[in-house]
Amino acid sequence: MIDEADAAAAAAFTPVLKLADLPANTKKAVQVGAKCLLVCNVNDKLYAIANVCSHNEKPLERGRMGNGWIACPVHGARFDLSTGAALNLPAKLPIATYEVRVSGDDVEVLV
Amino acid sequence: MSNTITLKELKEKGAARCPGAPSTQDIIASDKVAAPGWVRSESYQFLGDEDIPTDRYIDPAFARLELDTLWKKTWQFACREEHIPQVGDYHVYDLGHYSFIITRVAADEIRAYYNACLHRGTKLRASGTEGNAEEFKCSFHGWSWNLDGSHKETVCHWDFPHVDPQKFTLPQARVERIGGFVFINMDPNAPTLAEYLGPEAKSHIDAWNLQDRYVYLHVTKRLPCNWKLAIEAFQEAYHVIETHPQVAPSNGDANSQYDVYGEHVDRFISTLGVVSPHLYGQVSEQDILNQFTLGDSSALGDTKFTVKDGGTARAVMAEMFRGMFEKATNTDLSKVSDSELLDCFSYTVFPNTFLFPGISLPMVYRFRPDKNDHRKCLYEVLFLRPVPKDGARPMPAEPIHLRDEQSFTEAEGMDPGFGAILDQDTDNVGLQQEGIEASAKRGLTLGNYQEIRLRHFEQAVDRYVGKKG
Repeated sequence: MIDEADAAAAAAFTPVLKLADLPANTKKAVQVGAKCLLVCNVNDKLYAIANVCSHNEKPLERGRMGNGWIACPVHGARFDLSTGAALNLPAKLPIATYEVRVSGDDVEVLV
Repeated sequence: MSNTITLKELKEKGAARCPGAPSTQDIIASDKVAAPGWVRSESYQFLGDEDIPTDRYIDPAFARLELDTLWKKTWQFACREEHIPQVGDYHVYDLGHYSFIITRVAADEIRAYYNACLHRGTKLRASGTEGNAEEFKCSFHGWSWNLDGSHKETVCHWDFPHVDPQKFTLPQARVERIGGFVFINMDPNAPTLAEYLGPEAKSHIDAWNLQDRYVYLHVTKRLPCNWKLAIEAFQEAYHVIETHPQVAPSNGDANSQYDVYGEHVDRFISTLGVVSPHLYGQVSEQDILNQFTLGDSSALGDTKFTVKDGGTARAVMAEMFRGMFEKATNTDLSKVSDSELLDCFSYTVFPNTFLFPGISLPMVYRFRPDKNDHRKCLYEVLFLRPVPKDGARPMPAEPIHLRDEQSFTEAEGMDPGFGAILDQDTDNVGLQQEGIEASAKRGLTLGNYQEIRLRHFEQAVDRYVGKKG
């Protein structure tokens, strides 16, 4: 049985790209409404984060992904892909993270 | 009585070996799958028997001298190549207040830039970080450098007519590579890494093909002692019977082999799967098998083994390990000798790196002084596993940073038995640091054979800080 909250949440998941278009250890920037997100596939896990560095507001999409982190290509701030927490200077503030799931062939995010 | 040492005395000093025990070479010669030449050789040298003065462990002036001399002139392991696989990837390596951005600037070229903006000195990348850069831009005023180190942009160039971009290239340390390890040296006049290692030690390292391994586990912890005491704690097996009683039933400790190679490399071979000479007559072959402790026993699962009548634990373990490690790590070990599978090979590359090329104990250790306290140091242990047969190289493990009070057994992925051994080792060194400071005796007394690596190491320290030679 699905209650109303679950149903609302399910409805809010937005398909953003095909899983086949996101091979292992790659990432893609997607637009959901006014928000630019980065969907990452690293070490067999999917993450969705805000595609903007909290330090200097530059896009993260050209950044390097490691085991559970992404590094801003401009000044090197790193963020935890799960929590969005800033891992090192020059960033201190977190970035937004979003729930992500696979539904059929689609990667969906909850924005 | 004359103070002159005669040739006869010199030959006799350091010649004694554990009485009544087979040598390491005797044990290895009995193995079924024969060991390669680098295992089956000896290179011991008597280097004196004077005490090691203890001011080097406690005097802040000595630590400063090391930073100004030793650390600026030696080859240091900065990162593995797999930490920077793509062009533009970088890894920040620090030693004391020194900091370098180790960067892959082309598919087969790695550079080490001094990690400081040439404007007002801000670090271009935070310490302890990795990433990928198309340029190195300072987060303070935005001055930037290209990947090749050339100066890219002076923001508001009109205000800096005195800045010649040609003269604002990022300064570099030297970089050389061996076995997948990236080494750096701040001294432009230092010998090459090959000369530094010497031909014999280099031939050993080349034979291991460590470039075909990857970092499976990486744990760091601050230790309550000077960096040199931490290094010395791992340079001998003499301490095993007292510090690690649980290991002694399966470790040829007192009959381990010790070798020195030139000025910068030394080693021991400590056989496993044989009983300690301290325990002869007290332990059965089955006991040895039951108590064998592995650094990477996660590869073995929960399997238990038995020694048949007349057999040896060492032979059983060699036979079983080969198959199990092959399966667990998806690698071909058919040509690997029993000794390489079982034994502990501990090499030190001066000043601060240990390489363990064995299969069951596949570690790398690195020790660095704490930049804020010369009575503390940073210890890292990295476990290297063979890259899987299908060629897919896993990402190197992220470092797990333990707090000072944590046990190594708390690091996820650490074998509990091995973590307990590291706890025992690192508990010793805090008491040793304090004891040296409390002692009425101002020197450390060393055994001629079992502690030769410590003397070899400290003599190299002396040469670099200019105390001798």
